[in-house]
Amino acid sequence: MDFRFDIVTDYMPFFLRGMGITIGVSLAGVLMGLILGLIIALGKMSSNKWIRLPFNIYINIFRGTPLLVQLLIIHFGIVPMFMSPSNPLVSLVIGLSLNSAAYIAEIFRAGIQSIDKGQMEAARSLGMTRVQAMKLVILPQAVKRVIPPLGNEFIVLLKESSLGSVVAAPELMYWGQAAAGEYIRVWEPYIAVAFIYLILTLSLTYLMNYVERRLSTDDQR
Amino acid sequence: MINVKNLKKSFGDNEVLKDISVDVAPQEVVVVIGPSGSGKSTLIRCINMLESINGGHVMIDGRDLTDKKTNINEVRTDVGMVFQHFNLFPHKTILENITLAPINVRGMKKAEAEEKASVLLAKVGLAEKASAYPESLSGGQKQRVAIARALAMEPKIMLFDEPTSALDPEMVGEVLEVMKQLARDGMTMIVVTHEMGFAREVGDRVIFMDNGYIVEQNEPKSLFDAPQHERTKAFLSKVL
Ligand SMILES: Nc1ncnc2c1ncn2[C@@H]1O[C@H](COP(=O)(O)OP(=O)(O)O)[C@@H](O)[C@H]1O
Ligand SMILES: [Mg+2]
Repeated sequence: MDFRFDIVTDYMPFFLRGMGITIGVSLAGVLMGLILGLIIALGKMSSNKWIRLPFNIYINIFRGTPLLVQLLIIHFGIVPMFMSPSNPLVSLVIGLSLNSAAYIAEIFRAGIQSIDKGQMEAARSLGMTRVQAMKLVILPQAVKRVIPPLGNEFIVLLKESSLGSVVAAPELMYWGQAAAGEYIRVWEPYIAVAFIYLILTLSLTYLMNYVERRLSTDDQR
Repeated sequence: MINVKNLKKSFGDNEVLKDISVDVAPQEVVVVIGPSGSGKSTLIRCINMLESINGGHVMIDGRDLTDKKTNINEVRTDVGMVFQHFNLFPHKTILENITLAPINVRGMKKAEAEEKASVLLAKVGLAEKASAYPESLSGGQKQRVAIARALAMEPKIMLFDEPTSALDPEMVGEVLEVMKQLARDGMTMIVVTHEMGFAREVGDRVIFMDNGYIVEQNEPKSLFDAPQHERTKAFLSKVL
């Protein structure tokens, strides 16, 4: 088989632009996922079961259905209710945010519940409200424990952002498919795209390992 | 100062406190003894509302904790609690452990809170540990910091739940010493402990609990030397 590097170089500007968008939508998705996820996690830990209920339903729906299906419903069903024409990038960011929020909520909940119950009791016995105890005592300790799983979630999200191609969001995978269509070639575009995803995820893995090492040396003070 | 009236507490079907009534006067030191599982911890946790109450009343300084209108957080600032496992905040320095609540709950200025914390640390003999993290402290040192942390809120009452049970034997003395000093200074205290020497020396009254009831209470000398009930005798013969 002959591998036509000229296809890869021709399309490189588009791949790079797509990579920028992939990074952008993933970051936006994870940032909104963090905020929503924290709210959902706290809601799910409420002592009132009627408050817990909607948060439980949310988590079950978004973890129990494929992101692809969610994305199609959001892009062709929900976003058009608010803007027309529907914008694929907006749909993709919303889909990634809502989906990752469900996973991140569970990461937060596990992190918060892994903190010894005595911490909350000590804080409350000093007169702190529940909210103060969370903010000053529980969350700062939970943050360290949730960073590794959050890093994993970010890597998963970055790869899943490739589903944006089905709603024509111009991220990396979209340009891979565009090149494949234009040249009627399979290997060059998809291998190039796969290679770029790999560089992104490996860099993230490396960054996470670094952060984890830093955190664990902090612990030894 | 503390009035517990017909207190009942269950965990599911398990009734752990069955009609407990006890009054503690200002400056009184009450020591609670009894076999494991008899409800000692649950009793003092109810006094701080760390457990919900199923029946009866707990009054602190005339404020009824079971009354929905009572601000529990405010009452808690008057009641310090020391736990068996210290429960220091591991992400904060010793000084920050002590100043956290005064700054955030009492609204005290940082400088003032730190000055006060230093005085308290000196009082428990740990002035040089201000900038250390809890991890680097021995068990006895941790418990002394936990006492200083509770005192920083200027409580009127201090509750101790087996404060020396998790310590190596050689560290028990240093913690008991701090507690004795506190008692001499006139603090109102309820202490759950197995340290009978401490009960005898510092306690104004000893309560013997078994199976969710207060079986017997008396001044230490009478209770230890002339217990009235068979269960008290049986328990004391095992621990003395
Ligand atoms: N959070 C809880 N949930 C269920 N049962 C509990 C809980 N805390 C204590 N108990 C039960 O209550 C009883 C009394 O416990 P506790 O007050 O800790 O006794 P003590 O401090 O005298 O050893 C025990 O049977 C214990 O198993
Ligand atoms: Mg106990």
